[in-house]
Amino acid sequence: MAAILELQNLRKYFATQKAVDDISLTVERGQIFGLLGPNGAGKTTLIRMITGIFYPDEGNIIFDGKKFDPVNDVGYIGYMPEERGLYKKMKIGEQAMYLAQLKGLSHKDAMAKIKKWFLKFEMESWWNKKVEDLSKGMGQKLQFVTTVLHEPKLIILDEPFSGLDPVNSNLIKDEIFNLAQSGSTIIFSTHRMEQVEEICNHIVLVNKGKKILDGTVKQVKQDFKENLFSIGTEQALSSVNGIAPFDLIGSKDHSHVIRIKEGQNPNAVLQYLLQQGIAIQSFNEILPSLNDIFIKLVEGTPTARQFQKIEA
Amino acid sequence: MNKIWIIIKREYLTRVRKKTFIISTLLFPLLYLGLIFGMGFIAEKSKQNLHVAIIDNSGFFSNDAINKQNVRDNSSVLTLVKGNADKVIADYKTAGYDGYIVIPAIDWKEGSDSLFFKSNKSYGSGSTAAVEAKLNRIWSDIKNDSLQIDLTKQQILTKKLGVTPKNIQDENANAKTAEGIGYIAGFLIYFILLIYGSQVMMGVMEEKTNRIAEVIVSSVKPFQMMLGKILGIGLVALTQFFLWIAFILIVYNIGKASGSGGMATQMVGSMQKIFTSVNVPLILFCFGFYFLAGFFFYSSLYGAIGSAVNEDMREAQSLSFPITMLVIISIALMTAAISDPTGPIAVWGSIIPFSSPIVMMARIPYGVPGTVPWWQLGLSMGLLVLGFILTVWFAGKIYRTGILMYGKKPTWKEMIRWAFRKN
Repeated sequence: MAAILELQNLRKYFATQKAVDDISLTVERGQIFGLLGPNGAGKTTLIRMITGIFYPDEGNIIFDGKKFDPVNDVGYIGYMPEERGLYKKMKIGEQAMYLAQLKGLSHKDAMAKIKKWFLKFEMESWWNKKVEDLSKGMGQKLQFVTTVLHEPKLIILDEPFSGLDPVNSNLIKDEIFNLAQSGSTIIFSTHRMEQVEEICNHIVLVNKGKKILDGTVKQVKQDFKENLFSIGTEQALSSVNGIAPFDLIGSKDHSHVIRIKEGQNPNAVLQYLLQQGIAIQSFNEILPSLNDIFIKLVEGTPTARQFQKIEA
Repeated sequence: MNKIWIIIKREYLTRVRKKTFIISTLLFPLLYLGLIFGMGFIAEKSKQNLHVAIIDNSGFFSNDAINKQNVRDNSSVLTLVKGNADKVIADYKTAGYDGYIVIPAIDWKEGSDSLFFKSNKSYGSGSTAAVEAKLNRIWSDIKNDSLQIDLTKQQILTKKLGVTPKNIQDENANAKTAEGIGYIAGFLIYFILLIYGSQVMMGVMEEKTNRIAEVIVSSVKPFQMMLGKILGIGLVALTQFFLWIAFILIVYNIGKASGSGGMATQMVGSMQKIFTSVNVPLILFCFGFYFLAGFFFYSSLYGAIGSAVNEDMREAQSLSFPITMLVIISIALMTAAISDPTGPIAVWGSIIPFSSPIVMMARIPYGVPGTVPWWQLGLSMGLLVLGFILTVWFAGKIYRTGILMYGKKPTWKEMIRWAFRKN
């Protein structure tokens, strides 16, 4: 089966910025796909092209095997933007109905689905309340419901957890897993790396309008590992010398961080330590966190994008 | 298309169901009537009944002549001062006068246009006009007596020739009625453009401040979103307008049925006169057309501004000022058009799109094709349609960019650049 979404050499230039500069990527069906990048990297512009709000200057978007048709395909996409909100003075039930109908659902269909979701999130009693009566967290829940109500094939969530307490965060997180399990694809945009590590299978990192990293979370971590291991021992590692297959990076009490030398492997380390008569309590590989990788890749570029003149 | 309907429905229902809609629908006719009667009442109240000392050096004024006129018209009291004139001039206040007029020693064959009502306060011309009129009537009596013109001759002399405009193409046309209808129609459109135009602007701003704009444009095109809002609010205005017409018809029929009460019969009578003297279906049709087309023309511009600014009301006001000015200029042109409905200001004002909704509506009651030839009406309508297609297109382009833009207030120059930017 074809990928749900394929971007081919997308470009979008604004008067003062190359917002998206030749990005290609593929999102497979059922994936939870992390779209990462610092502020102003071009994530929102990229998403707005996928949701049909902007037309790309160049490049193609293939949605569900066909060329993306912004008018009809938006019914299969659910988008929760970072700048999100609801009509404050409108009743919650009517609001959910309105947004569902705009996505192309009939009144009857929408009603059944709203009831189902309201029941699931314990929101039944909210129907006649207005949004201004809701707390921020409640509003977020409603926003999430209206995003996924029409059972979109592709769900795009931009910072979905901002403003949510841990309990509601978990509720939404579980729902994201459920949706992915039942066949929806989720693009998850954030700069909160610990959430990405927890949720996403595949990530893409964009910076200054370009893609700088693309892979599964596992693969990316492997690619960026620095051969660091942590070792727990009973006695101090005092006898480490030049012929050891590793360098000692740091020690605290009886736990140590080492880097394995080029051409050596963990077994050689263990062998060496055993020969030294050191009792090993634990031996673990230290993989870099996505946060470290993110900072490493993005570091050195200015924190804010500079305005530039574009000759388009 | 279907999605525009959903938007129209929401925009319409949320507004019509609000209490403020019901209240404003009921209150507006009352306020309108109150304004008209209130202004007349205040104008009447602001006149003062003056007590004036007349110091006569000509010798023609007599107590009898003055009292005769004092009895006829009590809006001011004139008193002839004899003898102690200097004392009155020096201290007219303690003598109980508001001021005094010195009549110089003139002959009855002459007049004088340099008399002064002297007082240490300033009085409005409305108050002194009554005194002047009374003094002139006394002067006329003096002249009549001197010329020995008796009452019969006086009556003959006051007979005049009256000229009123009558349109021979349209026998029923009546300039006075046309003027009245022209004013009412022109002002109604003016109010609707300003009130509902700013409603469109506020509605768009609300979507921006609530941050719902991006949620909506991921389902519908920004242009559909804008058009849905304009059409929905236009329908609200239309609903309000029909309610008012229904209100007038109900009052009319109740008045006719009960047939009693001075005011009711008067109203019914004058309305019957209006219905027979003007082409009501044509006026209603044109009103509907100019109201809708003018609303599209202006509200799309107001919508564009709403999309460009942030939550700050002052930004919106300063940016929408040029557009509000256009509406106000139209009203100024309309006043000129009513006093001279076939003059160049009237003709051009009713053809150029920005002012045509208001100015043309003021001219149409004078008669089509008598005062407004068919070609002018056709040209005006055609240009207005072109005009609103242009403004809606232009506004759509600005809206598309503005609705997703947060941050600093754009200038008109930047907004025009948005309009010509590729998407």
